[in-house]
Amino acid sequence: MIVGEQKPISEIKQIVAPYKKILILGCGTCVKTCFAGGDDEVAVLASALRLSCMTEGREIEIEEQTIERQCEDEFIQESARAVARNQAILSLACGAGVQAMARRFASMPVLPGVNTTFMGVLEKPGLFTEECSGCGDCKLAVFGGVCPFTRCAKKLINGPCGGSRNGHCEVNSETDCAWHLIIERLKALGQMDNLRVYQPPKNWSASLSSGPRKLTREDHVL
Amino acid sequence: MGQRSKSKVTIFHCINVFADGDALLVDANESAALNFVKLPCSSMVKDVFLLRAFEAGADVVAVLVCAEGACRYVEGNLRAKKRVGWVKALLDEIGLDGRRLALFNVTAGDTLTAVKFIREAHSLAAALGPSPAAGGYRPETVKV
Repeated sequence: MIVGEQKPISEIKQIVAPYKKILILGCGTCVKTCFAGGDDEVAVLASALRLSCMTEGREIEIEEQTIERQCEDEFIQESARAVARNQAILSLACGAGVQAMARRFASMPVLPGVNTTFMGVLEKPGLFTEECSGCGDCKLAVFGGVCPFTRCAKKLINGPCGGSRNGHCEVNSETDCAWHLIIERLKALGQMDNLRVYQPPKNWSASLSSGPRKLTREDHVL
Repeated sequence: MGQRSKSKVTIFHCINVFADGDALLVDANESAALNFVKLPCSSMVKDVFLLRAFEAGADVVAVLVCAEGACRYVEGNLRAKKRVGWVKALLDEIGLDGRRLALFNVTAGDTLTAVKFIREAHSLAAALGPSPAAGGYRPETVKV
């Protein structure tokens, strides 16, 4: 899922300062799971902003809504009426959701309330870790399902650097060494021979490095 | 809005600490208006409930939870403690003063200690004065 965290309230207050009527719009999929932008976070942020404005003697009207996904027009349409009643949208979606909202409502300011951070997993309650860089050229089959491009601080693809200690990265001792995990996993799978095959330099042209990407599924295009 | 004569204290409490706040022997001359909110377990005290208590005009919000290690649901009071800590930081950030929110551990059924903590919350409300946000809940706010 896409992992993000809510911006500091001081920054959000600055962003919404020019407006007196705002819609705080949550997104009920990825950012809900990481406690950044679901219906609970919408309610808390709305309440905190109202309290902050009352404290400062400033008027604000806040409407709250959460839709299933802000990155799909089918769901975005559900917010149209609420959008029309307000001067701006404070979106708690990821960056894709904010931009999809902005595309749909051309004359409405759409403001980000979340810093989109990475693609990752929920490792344990309250802990999210980055697992995928979206490089467009997945080699997880070779590395036993552990991505060295994302999870090795040095992005090494032909073996470990030798600097890890007790299975932890020398760059950040709180991070697992990706190569330690790869070797443990390949041993368990009986696939250590995978590491005998030289991995050529990664083709980064499929990644964001070559500019924004598009994916077309012709069978779904009318 | 007119000058309020009584400070307002909202008390969220686990029903395992005491069942009915209104039945507690709080001094009839207490200057604070009390508002008790019962919870089946203190872990049910969501952050938005605490914030909305302030929106509804509370000067101080107190959360009375079971003693650590004695939660009937194992860790409900620990979750409440973390949540209260998080909201206190948020209150500081929005200029409302995190001291207006307090958590107290009380042994189940120890009403004397519960009353003592409620009085502490009164004193806190008197010391901190009226909440700068005590304008009351804004009815025009819409939840879709």
